[in-house]
Amino acid sequence: MSDAQHPTKPRPVVQPWAQPFWDAAREKRLILQHCEDCNKPIHYPRIACPHCGSARTGWRVASGRGQIYSYTVVVSNAPSAFVADMPYVVAVIELDEGVRMLSNIVDCDPQQLRCDMPVEVTFEQLDAEFMLPKFRPLT
Amino acid sequence: MSSNRGKTAIVGIGEIPTGRYPEQNAISFALDAARMAIADAGIAKDEIDFVIPTTAVFSFQFSNELTTCRLVEELGLKGVSANTTVFSGGSSSTNALRIASALIETGRARNILFVHCEKLGTGVSTQGGIDLFSTAGISMEWEVPYGQHYSTVAALATQRYKHETGTTDEELSAVCVSNRKWAELNPNAFFRKPLTVAEVMGSKMLATPLRAKHSNMLFDGGAAFIVTSAERARNLTDKPAYVLGEGGAVTHFAYHQEPDLTRFGWAKAGREAFAEAGITPADINVAEIYDSYPIFQLIAFEEIGLCPRGEAGAMHLHGDTWPGGQLPTTTDGGMLSKGHTGAGGSVSLLVEAARQVMGRAGQRQVPNCRFAVETAVGGTYMDAQVTILGNEIP
Ligand SMILES: [Zn+2]
Repeated sequence: MSDAQHPTKPRPVVQPWAQPFWDAAREKRLILQHCEDCNKPIHYPRIACPHCGSARTGWRVASGRGQIYSYTVVVSNAPSAFVADMPYVVAVIELDEGVRMLSNIVDCDPQQLRCDMPVEVTFEQLDAEFMLPKFRPLT
Repeated sequence: MSSNRGKTAIVGIGEIPTGRYPEQNAISFALDAARMAIADAGIAKDEIDFVIPTTAVFSFQFSNELTTCRLVEELGLKGVSANTTVFSGGSSSTNALRIASALIETGRARNILFVHCEKLGTGVSTQGGIDLFSTAGISMEWEVPYGQHYSTVAALATQRYKHETGTTDEELSAVCVSNRKWAELNPNAFFRKPLTVAEVMGSKMLATPLRAKHSNMLFDGGAAFIVTSAERARNLTDKPAYVLGEGGAVTHFAYHQEPDLTRFGWAKAGREAFAEAGITPADINVAEIYDSYPIFQLIAFEEIGLCPRGEAGAMHLHGDTWPGGQLPTTTDGGMLSKGHTGAGGSVSLLVEAARQVMGRAGQRQVPNCRFAVETAVGGTYMDAQVTILGNEIP
C-alpha cells in the first residue's frame, strides 16, 4: 500500500524497445540484447547498436552469472520509497557476457559481500506487472 | 586541436556567502553576484553584450525566467544581444566558460556575464532534496527502481576505489578535513568550525563506506563571473585570469555504464587541458578540485596528474593539500564545507581559481599563485571537465 510514509516503489519507466527484457524478467528469465551485425552484447537495451549503429538487434538468454564490480549497503537517508527496505544493497554487476547492470544483492549477509564476488541472478516481484532481476552470492 | 591558450580571461568575479536565506528570493542572489562581478571587472554594465545564466535546480519556473532574459531586465543591461542558459549540472560553469571563450574568440561577443543562483537550501525540504537527487541524472528504467541515489553513486565509486588502491577510510575522511581547513578561512563558506578525521569517521553511516560527513549538504547561494578577450583584460587589470587550457571527456549517462568507477574521464580531460595550456601538473600552484564527495576529489586529483594513483588520500591526510601545504587544494572549502548549491559547486570552484590567480583570495591567498587547475563534473560524474587558468600566458 502507498501512503505518505510508504510511497510506492518506482517502477521501471520502460522504453518500448526494452519491453522484451521486462517480459522475460516476468517469466524469471534474464535476457540480453545483442547486435546481429557486430555480435556484441548490449545492456541496457538500445534502439540501435551503440557499437556499430546497426538497427538489427536481437535477444539471447543470459548466463545469469557475473561478479560484483562494486556495491554499497544503504543504511540511512534512502529515497522515500526505499526507507522501509534499509539495509539494502545496491551493486554494479559485471555479467559474464561482459556487460554491466545496476541491481540489488539479496539473500545475503551484507557484511560478507566483497568486490569481484561471484553472483547469480534471482528475481523479485515488484508488483503485478514487474519482476526485477536481482543477484545473490553464488553458492 | 588548435590552441586557444590565453585568448580570453575572467576579469571579474562576484559571490554571495553560501547559506540559508528563507526570506529571500533567489533572484536577489543572482543580482548581487552579477553586480559584484561587473564592479570587480571595472566595466560599465551596458558593456555586457551576452548573458549566460545557468539553471537553478530548485525551481523550473524560476529557471525559465532566467532563460527568458529576466536577469537582463532586472540588471537593466542595455547592450545585450543574446541571453541563453547553459546547463550541464555540476559542469555548467566549465561549459559556460568554454562557450563564452569561443564566442569571444570568434567575435560574436565582447563581454560575457555568467550567473548562477540556487535556493536548494531553503527552497526544498531535506527529504525533497534527497528525492530530487534520487532521479536527477539517474536512469528511470535501469537504476531508480533499485534505489540508486547520490549516496549510492558516491559509495559505489568509493568501494571500488578502496578495493583497487588500498586507500583507507581515514584518508577519504581527510579530504573533508583538508577542505574544512580552507573553509575556516573563507567568509563565504557555510561550515567553518574545525573538523577532525575522528569526527568524520564517527558520523552516521549512509551507504557503506560513505558517512554523513562525507556527504555534501544543499544550500542557497549565487556567483557570477565576466569573460572577455585577453586584449581587453590587459586594459582592465594587471592580473587577469587567462583561460589557458580546457579539456573534457563524457563517459556515461547511466552510472553503471561508466567503464571505470575509479577513474572516470579525468585523465583525458587533464591531458587535453595541460597540453593546451603548455604547462604540466608540476607547474600548478593551486588545485580547485570538484569534491561533492571525498572520492571524487581523490580520483580527479590523481587522474589529472597531481600525484600518482592511490597517493592522493595520504596527501590530504598529511597536510600537502592544506593551507601552507605544497599543493593547496579546493581552497574555497568545496561543496563539503562551503556547501553545495546545485550547479554552483563548480561555479564556486572556478570563481575561486580565478580569485587565486588574480591575487584576491585574502587569507586563503596562495603565495605567488601563477597557475590554477579547476575540475568540474555534472550528473553522476558523467563528463569530467578540466580548466587551467593563469595570470600569465606560458
Ligand atoms: Zn553492432
